Amino acid sequence: MKSRYVVASAALVALLSACGVIRGDDEGGKGAQAAGVTSEPCPTAVDKKKGCIYLGTVSDLTAGPFAALAVPITDAQKAFWARVNKAGGIGGRYEVDVTKFVRDNKYNPEVHRQVYNEMKDQVLGLAQTLGSPTTAAILGDLKANSVVAAPASWTSAWEFEDVILETGANYCVEAMNSVDYAMEAYKPKSVMAVHLAGDYGADAAAGAKIAAERNGLTFTGVETPSGATEQGRAITEITKNKPDLVILTTGPADAATIVGQAAAAGFKGRFIGTGPTWNPALLKSPAAPALKALYEQSAPGRPWDSDTPGHRAMREALPGVTPNDGYTSGWAWAYPMKAALEKMVASGDISRKGLLAAVKSLRTVDYEGMLPPEAGNFAGDPDAATFRQTLVNKVDDKALTGVTTVKDFFVGPTAKGHTFDGPCYAKL
Amino acid sequence: MKALLETLIRGLGNGSVYALLALGFVIIYKATRVISFAQPALMLAGAVAVSHLAEVTGFYTAVLLAGLLIAGVALAVERIAIRPMVGRPVFVVAIITLGVDIVVRVVVNAFIGRDVRQVGDPWGFDQVALGPLVVQQRWLAMLAVTAVLVGLLFAFFRYTRYGLAMRAAAFDQETALAQGVSVGMVFALSWGLAGFLAAVAGMFVGTGQGIEQGTWVIALKALPAIIVGGLDSLGGAVAGGLVVGVVESLFQSYQGEYAPWLGQNFAVVTPYVVMLVVLLVRPYGLFGTREVERV
Repeated sequence: MKSRYVVASAALVALLSACGVIRGDDEGGKGAQAAGVTSEPCPTAVDKKKGCIYLGTVSDLTAGPFAALAVPITDAQKAFWARVNKAGGIGGRYEVDVTKFVRDNKYNPEVHRQVYNEMKDQVLGLAQTLGSPTTAAILGDLKANSVVAAPASWTSAWEFEDVILETGANYCVEAMNSVDYAMEAYKPKSVMAVHLAGDYGADAAAGAKIAAERNGLTFTGVETPSGATEQGRAITEITKNKPDLVILTTGPADAATIVGQAAAAGFKGRFIGTGPTWNPALLKSPAAPALKALYEQSAPGRPWDSDTPGHRAMREALPGVTPNDGYTSGWAWAYPMKAALEKMVASGDISRKGLLAAVKSLRTVDYEGMLPPEAGNFAGDPDAATFRQTLVNKVDDKALTGVTTVKDFFVGPTAKGHTFDGPCYAKL
Repeated sequence: MKALLETLIRGLGNGSVYALLALGFVIIYKATRVISFAQPALMLAGAVAVSHLAEVTGFYTAVLLAGLLIAGVALAVERIAIRPMVGRPVFVVAIITLGVDIVVRVVVNAFIGRDVRQVGDPWGFDQVALGPLVVQQRWLAMLAVTAVLVGLLFAFFRYTRYGLAMRAAAFDQETALAQGVSVGMVFALSWGLAGFLAAVAGMFVGTGQGIEQGTWVIALKALPAIIVGGLDSLGGAVAGGLVVGVVESLFQSYQGEYAPWLGQNFAVVTPYVVMLVVLLVRPYGLFGTREVERV
């Protein structure tokens, strides 16, 4: 009889515990410190009297396909927050640490979720969560626990998530603007989107398709696998169909192979590639003459050697590095988090919910000229808040990252008139 | 017809790279009965070595030096990680080669860095006219170099003492040992040869398009090639590599037109489809030895 009571009470405790009635980690409890915030100074504090806000980083730091970009992004963000701390921290009360919780996701959603779970009780938010499929793996938990995260990807899905602090226009907008730019510059009659699968490639292809329909152009979508040796079919499709404009959404080596081989086979149309299709090392590749002649890069932000206070501060904070626009993106992604943390500390509600509330009230962010302030609109409905300005760069041997801007921030008529009511890639 | 022939030449070019890689797999398998999963890392290491050395010595010398260097690396791997495992189940040794692959790739990635690296080849995307056909020079270079290397390799096995020793050891290790053949030397030589071939293949993979950290994946296409050709047949490895390259190229060019219902990127899986078909019809591959088992 007694054992029945023991089993019943154990079951009751287990049930209540599972329902969250009995919990050891009562974050919101009276006098408890919010997760990831301490009154003790940061491990590398500039001013030991200030408390510390810990932000996590989950990035592709070693073996994944985006390590070449992820390492500069992470280094730039470390330098960004070091500069913030030197300048007095957040609200004069806290410094920010982005060095203690840095984990490698190997660009694997499983690993991403695992390392996030390991750190999530010790960080207030994420300074960086790299990749769309990887971030999707933790999105449910981010939302359930109001963990604000700055992404390192530009998919249009982030426009519809309150906890994601995106910076710069998404791939869908970028491709719309590229087609509209080409309409002015090259007057094409046909567009082909050559793209990787998933919410990087398909997002841009969907944008290109919407812009093609609006401009009365014929549209073809060619999904291609990643890997330079796998581009045979994409090249055949281009040289066979001869579109006037090709919107590329691939990796840099894939892009160089496609542009170089299509040009060698006599193709004379134009290519506009999204930001990640460019890498300065392509200037040394056999595709360089073709890239100079036929290719432009669309981008969500100005390149490394631009003359704005933000770019200058970044270059000063990263002396001696090989210029790379991974640094530029990483640095720019940190501004909204800084603005939100300042607002949270000013409001007095220093917690995850306080940070989320601060994010939802941001209408502009000071990017120190790197992006227009309205790029930091996180208030209101996603359609109104979606930032729609992008740039177009051309290949330039003399520029430090191999590209210079030919058309500064602009919104094309397609992006201006489009209603964002869901992720673009879902509609391709 | 012109487009078809150009597609075939592209397929034979890529296929000859798969053939070089497949030869490496088969040489090691014949000598040790182990499939070495370290081949992708050795291929990447070879390409990276060429890209660094070419800046100093020029391209052709760099290829030779890189081939010898990677052969040396393969010898070291065999001596340190594989030789102590002689007599253990081959499955265990295969798993060790997987570990070796990861270790070597992590080291090699540090030499690749963040950017796409070029191997400094003279071909780039340059084309040449063969009568009415216009084909990339690098496809022809791949075919020609592979033909020469395969010829030399077959002559080595046919006419040299070491080649004979390797064939004897592959046929029956214990008998070869009893006849005075150093089986350890055979193991080492097989790894060295596989390393050299992987380096040359890696260089060709990098021609035109360059190499990045993810380039190693291409070496996995040699796996269907060796299954198609037969795991223990050198001729089969060459045939398997060429078949895989040609089928893949044909699907890249024509599947969208004639079989769009297969989806956009069916060419990516064609090597594995060919492998499955061959396995169903001839389980030991086109040229593999049929194993007779008593039940």
